[in-house]
Amino acid sequence: MKRLWRTRAIFLSLSLSLLLTTISEAGLKENVFETVLPNGLKVILLENHKAPLVTFQVWYRVGSRNETWEKTGLSHMLEHMMFKGTEKIGPEEFSRIIQENGGNDNAFTSYDYTAYFENLNADRIQVSIDLESDRMQNLLLREEDFRTERMVVMEERRLRTDDNPQAVLAEQVMAAAFEMQPYHWPIIGWMEDIARFTLEDLKTYYKTYYNPVNAILVIVGDFKKDDLLPKIDQAFGSYPRGAAPPQEKDIDPPQIGERRIFVKKEAQLPSLVMGYHVPNFREQDSYVLEVIATILSGGKSSRLYQSLVREKRLTLSVDADHSLTSRDPSLFTLSAELLPGKEVAEVEKAFDQEVEQLKKDPVEKQELEKAKNQLEASFIFAQDSLFYQAMLLARYEIALSWKTIDDYLPSVRKVSPEDIQRVAKKYLTPDNRTVGILIPLPLKEGKSEPAGSSVKEHLVR
Amino acid sequence: MSFVPHSASRTSHWKCFIVLFFLVLGVGVPQGGLRAMPPVQRMVLPNHLVLLASEDHSLPFVTLQLLVDSGSWRDPRGEEGLAYLTAKGLLLGTSKHNVNQINETLDFMGATLNASSGRDYATLTLRVLKKDLDKGFDLFLEVLTQPVFPEEELKREIEKTLAAIQSQEDQPDEVAERTFVRTLFLDSPYGHPAEGTRESVPKLTREGIVRFYRSYYHPNNAILTVIGDMTDQELKEKLISRLEKWPRGDIPKLPFVSKFEKEQKTVKVNRPITQANILLGHAGVSRENPDFYALTVMNYILGGGGFASRLMAEIRNKRGLAYSVGSFFDPGKYPGSFQIVLQTKNPSARDAISLSLQQIERIQKELVSEKELEGAKKYLVGSFPMRFDTQGKLANFLIQVEYYGLGLDYPEKYPSLIQSVTRDEVLRVAKKYLHPEKYVLVIVANLKEAGME
Repeated sequence: MKRLWRTRAIFLSLSLSLLLTTISEAGLKENVFETVLPNGLKVILLENHKAPLVTFQVWYRVGSRNETWEKTGLSHMLEHMMFKGTEKIGPEEFSRIIQENGGNDNAFTSYDYTAYFENLNADRIQVSIDLESDRMQNLLLREEDFRTERMVVMEERRLRTDDNPQAVLAEQVMAAAFEMQPYHWPIIGWMEDIARFTLEDLKTYYKTYYNPVNAILVIVGDFKKDDLLPKIDQAFGSYPRGAAPPQEKDIDPPQIGERRIFVKKEAQLPSLVMGYHVPNFREQDSYVLEVIATILSGGKSSRLYQSLVREKRLTLSVDADHSLTSRDPSLFTLSAELLPGKEVAEVEKAFDQEVEQLKKDPVEKQELEKAKNQLEASFIFAQDSLFYQAMLLARYEIALSWKTIDDYLPSVRKVSPEDIQRVAKKYLTPDNRTVGILIPLPLKEGKSEPAGSSVKEHLVR
Repeated sequence: MSFVPHSASRTSHWKCFIVLFFLVLGVGVPQGGLRAMPPVQRMVLPNHLVLLASEDHSLPFVTLQLLVDSGSWRDPRGEEGLAYLTAKGLLLGTSKHNVNQINETLDFMGATLNASSGRDYATLTLRVLKKDLDKGFDLFLEVLTQPVFPEEELKREIEKTLAAIQSQEDQPDEVAERTFVRTLFLDSPYGHPAEGTRESVPKLTREGIVRFYRSYYHPNNAILTVIGDMTDQELKEKLISRLEKWPRGDIPKLPFVSKFEKEQKTVKVNRPITQANILLGHAGVSRENPDFYALTVMNYILGGGGFASRLMAEIRNKRGLAYSVGSFFDPGKYPGSFQIVLQTKNPSARDAISLSLQQIERIQKELVSEKELEGAKKYLVGSFPMRFDTQGKLANFLIQVEYYGLGLDYPEKYPSLIQSVTRDEVLRVAKKYLHPEKYVLVIVANLKEAGME
């Protein structure tokens, strides 16, 4: 699944694996150092001395999947509150301090985790150690800060979802596809739930989930492990362990019939999303789906682009997306934004044809090799960023174990044409999918221009 | 579009603006004694192509980015979108390969090749694994020097562009931006979106594209950066020997006539949305304005510095009125704009606007504090190394250093350029370049709920 966060950029596919910066073929296991402090805090370190920079990240094993009915969005709300101060620093001082040290910081929440990071010059790493350890246990949750920040979260929801027709569609598809499973509700939470939060909710949530045993430090960049570890131990080591919250969540029983939903909203163009329930990388078939997604929509020579965008001229854009490292099984999605005047039924038919072809005809050698090449190249390109390296380690760790990153390329390389047929037949079936259609409503008629205004005004429809 | 079950986060994209809109915010060495920038070689080829190369063998891939001084400001009247379509058109077929073959070749290598144009210049960017460098570079040079602009493909691209323009109507921030640009820049060369408009794009012709291409796509009008896993020897043998063959050409001299709306203008756009998208701004500066650095510092304090900025403090932190709020200058080769951008629920629109104006007035009246000034400098100077910590960022950084004539010693100069800004300087530029009495205000909102019908 993709995540949107602070910069609203679309990030690289989260299925990218991670290799070393200096050794292209050796596995990570030789270069990543892992240790667990006595209080349960896991520390994952990867040295990279290319530039005197470092990314320092704290990932908590809590996301919207840990929430409950009527209190959805709490993980994200707490993420916001983590910047509102501790005994040592005042509200919003956190970012100010990082910036004064020439660094950038941010945080993001997803279904499976909440993550905090600073990108800094290597010689300032102690700043992160101090600030992150401080707020892991000493956060002050004040009513006044909470009230204003809750308003901010509501504005965020309006911005990301309510005023964005395609985001509304995506939200509705997830809600229809997942019933018992907590991916049912949006990460940011329903607006009604956000309005209902109390400070007590946050305090309880913080105590439950923000503990060493439930956290991971991931640090990538220019440091020396033997210098760094004692500093980490000093800052974090004395914290009490906390109880590891239960992490097993309900998985929906197999879907036994297609679900179809419609969203009618003022919009310019229709959209279509089809989500199929699929396993994550705890099952080998997930790697096959990774390859399938690339064959379908990797680049402009891909099948969906050629068929729906070029040949049939049905869509403005088209995508196949797979969540390899979702902690619980999620969706494989096919999505498209239609060109003006085109019919959703035609696009659906075109998608079905592509899916049927995957089942019927074994993928040819050249095309399969192309997909694998694309995945491998992306893998190498992604290593150019310390931030992404750390993020990848963390995401694999949250979902299962960072060590499985070493399985990524070999598993992808192993995928055969028969695997693709088998997996397509097994998962990409109408009974297993949820179809979401955005039906654009025309903009309502506006009112006439007011007369006698003191500034020159110009009302635009 | 891809299926995006969103995550949510703490704040918006303003930090990006510090980098993006201030273009090459080169800042020198922060207090740690860090290196300023990876070593860069600059050379000018006999055909006057400027080449900047930086070796880095830590990863087996290479990034090439070419800038052509052929931005959308050069679109002839009535042909808005021409520069953009020409750039896109490079990838639509050459004398040797059609568009499908190009895409197949790229995808098989897992490489990416993208072309686009903004208001000042166009870029062509290749990212390719070292082992495919020859093939990748062949293709790069081929699309650059031998495009054929097939009629059928251009038609498709036009159709796609029109659909994209239409789709943007669903994004209130895009609507606000377009409306603002049109209103502020009037019919001057910066007044239209790079991709053109619904009226102009259907009228673009192959003949126009070929004309535009022949006018501007020459080595003496371009800058190329090459970053990554390539030795000096390989650079000379594989790249330079081939680049040298790209023939020079005469570039038309086009005057740029700046024009800005002189009166206060408010434009309201009615949409059935929950948030008012507010854009308040006016004329700005060009990159070469000597006050650029003082303005950088001033703007950081006002609204560019994320959580260290006043707009964020007043509008988001204190009052919870916005998730995303900030200010920026967007200096181009020619004078750009100044903007405050924010979104707030409809009923809060008026409040947010007056708070923004208050902050402009405040920074024009009182000296900023020492603390704020020092904070700005520490960030701008200290964060500098992160502006080029990936191949892509370094390529882009060097292109802009060259394009704006900043000099390769820019990273060394920048710290003093920033450190020398005083509180009085900040006040002076605030008074000179901010205009709270005369601005363009765009509101895209449910006007009834915003009380602005």
